[in-house]
Amino acid sequence: MKNKIDVWIIIAVASLILEGWALYAVSASPEHWRPAMIVENDPTARALYDEMIKTIRKAESLSYTSICSAPDGRVSIYGVLLKKSNFFRVEASNDASSKINTLVGDGKWLWIFWDGIRPYLKVDDAEGRKKTQSEVYIKKPLATGRNSIGNEIDLLGLTWYGIILDPSIFHGYIDPLESYIDGVRSRGPYYIGDQECDIIEVSYMKAQRTRYFWISRENQLPLMMKEILRLSDNQVRIEEWSDVALNGLVPENKLEWSPPDGWQQWDVPGPDDVLLTAGLKAPDFDLLSADGGRIKLSDYRGKVVWLCFWQYGCPCCRQVLPYLQKLQEQYQDEGLEILGFNCADDKRIAQRYLSENALTFPNVLDSTNKAKNVMLRDYSNKTQTVPLHYIIDSQGNVVDAWCGYEEGHKHALAALMKAGLQIKKE
Amino acid sequence: MKAYELIKETFSRRGYIWIVHVVWLALYGIFWWLFLPSGEEFGRFIFIWGGFFLPLALTAGIFGDDIASGRICVLVTKPLWPGELYLCRLLGLSLQAAVQFILASFLVFILHFITKKGNTDYLSLWLFVTWLLFNTVAALSTSLSVVVGRTYNSLLMLVVVVTVYFVMSLLMGSAGPEGSKGVFAGFIRYPWPPFELLYKFANGEYGKYSLTVGRFSVTKSVACVVHSLILTVVYSIVGIVLLGRRQFSRQRD
Repeated sequence: MKNKIDVWIIIAVASLILEGWALYAVSASPEHWRPAMIVENDPTARALYDEMIKTIRKAESLSYTSICSAPDGRVSIYGVLLKKSNFFRVEASNDASSKINTLVGDGKWLWIFWDGIRPYLKVDDAEGRKKTQSEVYIKKPLATGRNSIGNEIDLLGLTWYGIILDPSIFHGYIDPLESYIDGVRSRGPYYIGDQECDIIEVSYMKAQRTRYFWISRENQLPLMMKEILRLSDNQVRIEEWSDVALNGLVPENKLEWSPPDGWQQWDVPGPDDVLLTAGLKAPDFDLLSADGGRIKLSDYRGKVVWLCFWQYGCPCCRQVLPYLQKLQEQYQDEGLEILGFNCADDKRIAQRYLSENALTFPNVLDSTNKAKNVMLRDYSNKTQTVPLHYIIDSQGNVVDAWCGYEEGHKHALAALMKAGLQIKKE
Repeated sequence: MKAYELIKETFSRRGYIWIVHVVWLALYGIFWWLFLPSGEEFGRFIFIWGGFFLPLALTAGIFGDDIASGRICVLVTKPLWPGELYLCRLLGLSLQAAVQFILASFLVFILHFITKKGNTDYLSLWLFVTWLLFNTVAALSTSLSVVVGRTYNSLLMLVVVVTVYFVMSLLMGSAGPEGSKGVFAGFIRYPWPPFELLYKFANGEYGKYSLTVGRFSVTKSVACVVHSLILTVVYSIVGIVLLGRRQFSRQRD
């Protein structure tokens, strides 16, 4: 009898230990940001990362197939050809049998064209798309090391998430995220198929973004990359490289393109073209604020409002927010109210950023669908570009709207004066 | 032999049980035929239908019927230990589900082979997690059947699960305090049947965050399976204890 009880006690204890381990293993998930995710720099791992970038930069030519899995599960395949000094071709498709959309850099111009009817793009509206859905191309000037192929890939229309490693690094382009690297650390060796590689982890912007690179020991190029972007909903992207040829022969005819007869150049509407225009009523909202209260736009009637939509991971936003704080302190008594608006980020990350940088002006910090609709549907017309600025007058009407960061803020100051604010000359 | 008879009884105890199996198989086939889903989409469908609704249908009144008719007094008389009765019935249910999921996989493979449409990616994994969920839900519903009369155990489970998820979606969308949401989410994730953990495991969501090239994190996947099996055992122990402690009457309700 005693033996039987002992056995049951042993089974119960073992089960408890097993369940304890299971709960720990399941709950120890890096789904949500926490400070421990910030990586300390390990010089050996950093050297591996730098060597990878250097190998890409110093190559005379590079070609590979990149298979990218987006957070929504969609897979895009990119055939990439790169040649010095400023030649490239990217052929994109959703699978081997589907249409191929192409981006070509011929050294002087960037060309984008689509196979048949072009996909729906962020900048499209129903009316405009009807006129430009086929036999059109985009032409833009190229400047060595200045253009980002990674950004232009959006216009191919296959996915809204793009690729992880910008192919333009080959041409000397510097990824804006480079200056926000917290650290690089090693995650040990690994085999992909029969290829031995080293895994390194790179964290950016205090681990708001983490990238893992599986770097081949054979050629110091990545075999695979995984990126975790910690927004209000985490986004995970994976990019795999295959058919890699370093310094191989690149067919010259692939690196040039001219439009067929009858095709027309399409000037893509910029994000500024689709914003609310002056004189329209600024849509009201009532959303959660960073301090736990609520912010209602109509409560600011009688004041001039600078409404700024921002995101933690946007370098331009980081430049403009301190200026807004300064302006708030300077002109609050004159009737200016700065309103920040963030509906994308993990609340903990955004709150920490605001307090670390002493940004005390009121901020909407709300990642509910209601808040996202306010930004995407009411104010940015789906473009999702940040920073996005609106100057709203004391009657609640839009005075001006624009995207991006402008050195000197002349445009913004002029709009504020137009809204009735007395700006002092510095 | 005794165990075999008890296991067999879980299939023959009510006339509608074979109809449930046929209807469920037909549903799998119809869903596949109409929507031509990928293996994953089909997996999500079978996860709910096979992992949640099927055990509710099969366990309706599994002890409640015998308690109501007074037959339970005969069943739990020595030499039959109440726990044995409970375990045999649960095993019977689990075997029925296993057979049904194997048949479902054959059905889908045949449909896929004939039509050359859709795909069967990760189907076997989805069927495995569905079976794990089935066992957990079946154990909980069987235990409920010891204390809830007639077939109300399944109805109660259905109402409670739907209500809990409805309340959860309201809570998560509301602007309430984060702490209360966290407690509620923790309850749904751990002591509650492991819908979320198994779904995430099969959907490859744990692999995303791990340092694996593929879709799965081995540690988290094993942890999900272990947690699910332990929950099944815990729910069963509660049922066995309740069955052993209850006084039953020979009188019909």
